[in-house]
Amino acid sequence: MAQQHGIIVLFDVENALRTRSLDGNTYWFDNMKFLGSVGEGTGQLVTIVPGTYFLDGSQATEQVLNWLPAALGAIPPTVPRNYLAEQERAHDRRTLEQLAALGGDGEVSSTEVSRLQQRVGRRPRKQAGGRGLTAAKLLDVTGKATSSAAAYNYPAPVITDITGQAVSEKIIYPAQYGSPDMVYDGWYWAATVDTSRPGVYPYTMHVQLHELVEQNDELVWQSVDLTCESSLKITSDPKRNAFTGAGLGVLPLPAAPPAG
Amino acid sequence: MPPRSRQPAPRPARPVTITAVIDPVAALASENLDDNLYLYDTNKAAGSSGFGTPELHSRVRKGDTLLWNVIPLECETYVALADIEIDPQIAEPTRKVYPGTDIVFWTAEVKQDLTKPVPYRLSFLLGTVSTPFTPTARPALTRPGDQGKEGR
Repeated sequence: MAQQHGIIVLFDVENALRTRSLDGNTYWFDNMKFLGSVGEGTGQLVTIVPGTYFLDGSQATEQVLNWLPAALGAIPPTVPRNYLAEQERAHDRRTLEQLAALGGDGEVSSTEVSRLQQRVGRRPRKQAGGRGLTAAKLLDVTGKATSSAAAYNYPAPVITDITGQAVSEKIIYPAQYGSPDMVYDGWYWAATVDTSRPGVYPYTMHVQLHELVEQNDELVWQSVDLTCESSLKITSDPKRNAFTGAGLGVLPLPAAPPAG
Repeated sequence: MPPRSRQPAPRPARPVTITAVIDPVAALASENLDDNLYLYDTNKAAGSSGFGTPELHSRVRKGDTLLWNVIPLECETYVALADIEIDPQIAEPTRKVYPGTDIVFWTAEVKQDLTKPVPYRLSFLLGTVSTPFTPTARPALTRPGDQGKEGR
């Protein structure tokens, strides 16, 4: 298999923060259902990894896995990577224009100023030692600035590690990579797979969610570290011809044309 | 555990988001959206059910704001929610885009408390196919207390 596996993990962040658990709040997907992955869209995904081998049985290519986290109920990951920053800037620009328009003729009503103050939104502080989040203005789930700590768009969950049997038995070699990919914030987790040992191998994903809390009249991002599990199923089944369904052996060529 | 800032509120500040996760490549190859559509919402705590199926039952109340959006499993293939057909006495969804993008979402307000489950129909545009895909299975809005399928 030279095609890369994409494994998407969708987190019900609101429920996970409420219950402080990812059990029942994590939905896994991959793009290998047609090759035999099972449990798509549930918390029990088993990702199929069909190995490729030379005639002597040795491994021919390395399968690559990519993990992509997303938050349910948030602005979807299909918006451009710089979307939140762009929105913040556009919003500030509009507010400044309105502020300038207010100051035109001396008297400025306090109602209008406080309306603008409301519009400015809030910028929460990053927790000391917190990782993965860039300080930015709060936006709601439709991309508008908000000052409400109850309406904010959930930041994308951050994968912090991948461990477990599949890693300790050296079936996968996961690592975080920087990427020019505009969709997933320039960072992603990927792994290559040793397909020479068929079997089912569970692994644990370590995830950091972010919760907004009010401390001393200030909004602060608190990180919440949780884990969830999935599995890989490595197979060494013979390849089939996708056009004819034939297995190993000679190609199903028609009998030699009759001698003419 | 860090302190919680949120107070119990009569109406959540966030909309009830209904997200359609779609495998567009598999749907286009098989011309079957039902097997490649996974619906979820953010109201599991209120009793929504059918998570991960095309027959999601979302628990809603009068006055709730609903928001429908899409997450494609393959970010290089175009997917958009093209239409929502629902009884206009219950909700009248309007098409919007995230400001500054052409990424579509739909919103609606629930106009009345439901007396029975209200099925509705979603249509999606996939890839470069101009005819929308409409799954046979239908999701529904339900009132708190309606029996739905067990949530996953």
